[in-house]
Amino acid sequence: MPPETSARRSRLSAALRPGSAGVVYALVLIVAVLAVLSAQLGRPNYLSPTNITNILDQSSLVAILAVFTTVVLISGNFDLSIASVAAFSAATALSLVSSLGLPLAMVVALGAGLVCGLVNGVIVQLVGINAFIVTLGTMTAVRGLVLILTDGRTITAKDPEAQQALIGLQSGYWTVPQVLAIAGAVVLVAGVVVGLLARRSGGSPLRGGLAVAAGVVLIALSPVLGYELRLTKPTYYLLVIAAVTWVVLRYTVVGRRLYAVGSNAEAARLSGINVNRYKIGAFVLNGLGSGFVGVLFAAKLLAINPTGLQGTELTVLAAAILGGTSLFGGFGSVLKSVVGALILFTLDNGFNVLNLGANYQGLIVGTVVIVAAAIYTIAGRQRQVRRVRDSGPQPVVPEPTKQEALG
Amino acid sequence: MVTTPLLSLEGVGKSFPNGTVALRDARLTVLPGSVHGLVGANGAGKSTMIKIIAGAHTPTTGTVRWKGEEAVWRDPGAARNAGIATIMQHVPLAPTLTVLENVFLGAPGPWRLPRARRAEFARLLDRVNYRIDPDAEVADLAIGERQMVAILQALATGAELVVMDEPTASLAEGERQVVFEVVRRLSAQGTAFLYVSHFLDEVLSLTGQVTVLRDGTVVEEGETAGFDEDRLVQAIVGRDLLAVERRTHAPVEAGGPVLLSVRSLSSPEGVREVSFEVRPGEVIGLAGLLGSGRSEILHAVYGADARARGEVLVDGRQVRRDPGAAVAAGMALVPEDRNAQGLVGAFPIWKNISLPGLASLSFGRVLPNERSETERAARAIEDLGIVCPSPEAMVTELSGGNAQKVVFGKWLYGGARVFMLDEPTAGVDVGAKADILELVRRFAAQGGAVLVVSSEFEEILAVATRVLVVREGRIVAERPAHETSEEELLMLANGFGEGDVHDAA
Repeated sequence: MPPETSARRSRLSAALRPGSAGVVYALVLIVAVLAVLSAQLGRPNYLSPTNITNILDQSSLVAILAVFTTVVLISGNFDLSIASVAAFSAATALSLVSSLGLPLAMVVALGAGLVCGLVNGVIVQLVGINAFIVTLGTMTAVRGLVLILTDGRTITAKDPEAQQALIGLQSGYWTVPQVLAIAGAVVLVAGVVVGLLARRSGGSPLRGGLAVAAGVVLIALSPVLGYELRLTKPTYYLLVIAAVTWVVLRYTVVGRRLYAVGSNAEAARLSGINVNRYKIGAFVLNGLGSGFVGVLFAAKLLAINPTGLQGTELTVLAAAILGGTSLFGGFGSVLKSVVGALILFTLDNGFNVLNLGANYQGLIVGTVVIVAAAIYTIAGRQRQVRRVRDSGPQPVVPEPTKQEALG
Repeated sequence: MVTTPLLSLEGVGKSFPNGTVALRDARLTVLPGSVHGLVGANGAGKSTMIKIIAGAHTPTTGTVRWKGEEAVWRDPGAARNAGIATIMQHVPLAPTLTVLENVFLGAPGPWRLPRARRAEFARLLDRVNYRIDPDAEVADLAIGERQMVAILQALATGAELVVMDEPTASLAEGERQVVFEVVRRLSAQGTAFLYVSHFLDEVLSLTGQVTVLRDGTVVEEGETAGFDEDRLVQAIVGRDLLAVERRTHAPVEAGGPVLLSVRSLSSPEGVREVSFEVRPGEVIGLAGLLGSGRSEILHAVYGADARARGEVLVDGRQVRRDPGAAVAAGMALVPEDRNAQGLVGAFPIWKNISLPGLASLSFGRVLPNERSETERAARAIEDLGIVCPSPEAMVTELSGGNAQKVVFGKWLYGGARVFMLDEPTAGVDVGAKADILELVRRFAAQGGAVLVVSSEFEEILAVATRVLVVREGRIVAERPAHETSEEELLMLANGFGEGDVHDAA
């Protein structure tokens, strides 16, 4: 059916336009520039597997936070409290891990994050106070809780057993052997599912068949190329979280409704969607995610000081903005926010590798964020203008003029 | 005419990029020191004319003359400097500043509150013979007092022409009299007023000249003394159009099954003890003026107003007071403001159309089937004649009529049986209007129940089988559509002829 294929093609080409995929091109450009510069200056190979693995590892915690922050931003809200909540969860986990053991301490820490998110959501949605104000307040208040909990000192996990458990949670590498074979199997299964669904709804199973074929090819190539994937554990956490969130947002009813709620809450409400449930749900998820990142942070340092992670919320927001997420709701992609986080840490890493002096870093990163926002805004405006021009003036239905006096 | 008119519009037309023609060859002549009434139905072009006068819109054709000289105002500031002050319906004052500061908001000078301002303020108050505390914060004032502050502000800029858009729409009777008193006093001193109002009794008693707009053109103008209520109503309504569109609808037999039943519904938003029943095949028109509570009634019935109390039953089953439950019960709402309440601007047409019934279009009610969604959108585009490049088009690209059809499309295929339409044809061109009215008839013919709110009573009469007249949140009268007339509805909605209402209701 030609109209549908052309629709699909236009969806694909729209997704690849610089206005929407610009952040990916920007990352490629930055990496290319850094690679060329480091080769020119005789520094170690910028694109070495070690360095790439490093960048991914360094950005993973902020990127996980950026995924959940993007969900809140899409829902049309704003959360400044994530870094405080993460620090609170970290402090909770560290102070309980020796007595309760890691699994229970982690449950409590995640629960603490969840409760913080719930408090944010309930106050914002049910009391009706602006999210910026509420989360500015909880940011300060939760930071205060961290101070109370730690009594202003750094707390550490001293118990060796607990230390081992924490280290096991986040440090070290997982190696995926035969990554091509695994990817092929995933594509194959997806192809079968898509094909079956398409048949049930009476469409052609062509796309599913193509995916199955691609999967078979990948599995066949795997023994020949034999590529293996070796990444740190937090990177895997990030990949799984980002992938699951993306699938939920892109392919499920929940995701569609979240975008609708964020873009026009009143229209969503009058269409029968429970707006409060979605908006509060986004806050709860964000609290839970912050709690998880806090536990990972605690496991990384085996200690937390009362000011730990302070200011991270702004880095996370910068990542989401770089990814093109709208601060007014309804627009955004978690994958692009992850790429945004990668850009920030690539720049960070590049300054170190090139030994450019950390003094310039803030200036460059700030400029990059503003330039990105400017590009999104201008591209959006031009798209608007083009649309008006394309649709053109519509024919005016001539109307009988009624000039004669009446009565 | 001996005196040069203060303001005159000649052959002024205005069309918008989306193809809407708001004004066509319109004219207006305002004499110095006069009070000039401007009346017309919703969408007749009053607001566009005001905006052209205020410099907010530039006319597409025609000329604007100010004191006999051609004037082109590129922005509202230019018109204000020329001596035109416009008081919009929603008074744009700075609520956190004091009365004095608001009145002199546009005044030049480096200091916030020079002493001389107080003396000037006192002189202004003397001029209008009104008393108000200059240091009161505007946020604490009643709406009528704010209206007065806006008038004072207009005077402080030295305006020779004050344009007032529905100044009394939300005022109590006492406050109205104060505003009228000031308008009369100032016009006697030489300030001209252009007075826009829905309330015909005000126009008749207050203005010296009147201009009637309909469908973007001037249909009547002259001395107000030559008009009475009936003649104004007829000029606003336009008999000939009515004769074309109106069809007689026999009322649906009473005694059949009731589809929608509303029992003593009240809300703090201004719905008072509303009860009515609708049978399948009926189109109920809710006729009322702006601010009469007609939209609030729809929102209360739909459960969108959480504070409403009362019972709503569909097919004899009680519906929980929540839009989600309403949709599940087969109710559909086409809201008044389609951009703010009806459409998700970030979504293309197909995602908007599938939004209310998304779960039923999904695999396992969880994974949306985009193919079915696109097919549904394509069907809606076909059925409703939506002019658009494809279902992928963004709703923000569509003209008013087509966007409104998308809002209708949301409810066409999900099994909705109770349709609540709030101003379904506002801001929609004539062709699309006829389509939409036809659609309303189709809903009813298929056994649905339809509630239509409109301030264009001709439209209500064109589709309704029965009309409920709404005033101050109550249903004050009920008329079979084929036995009533637009004039009668307008009288009833204005609160005239209440005497014979009671035996009818």
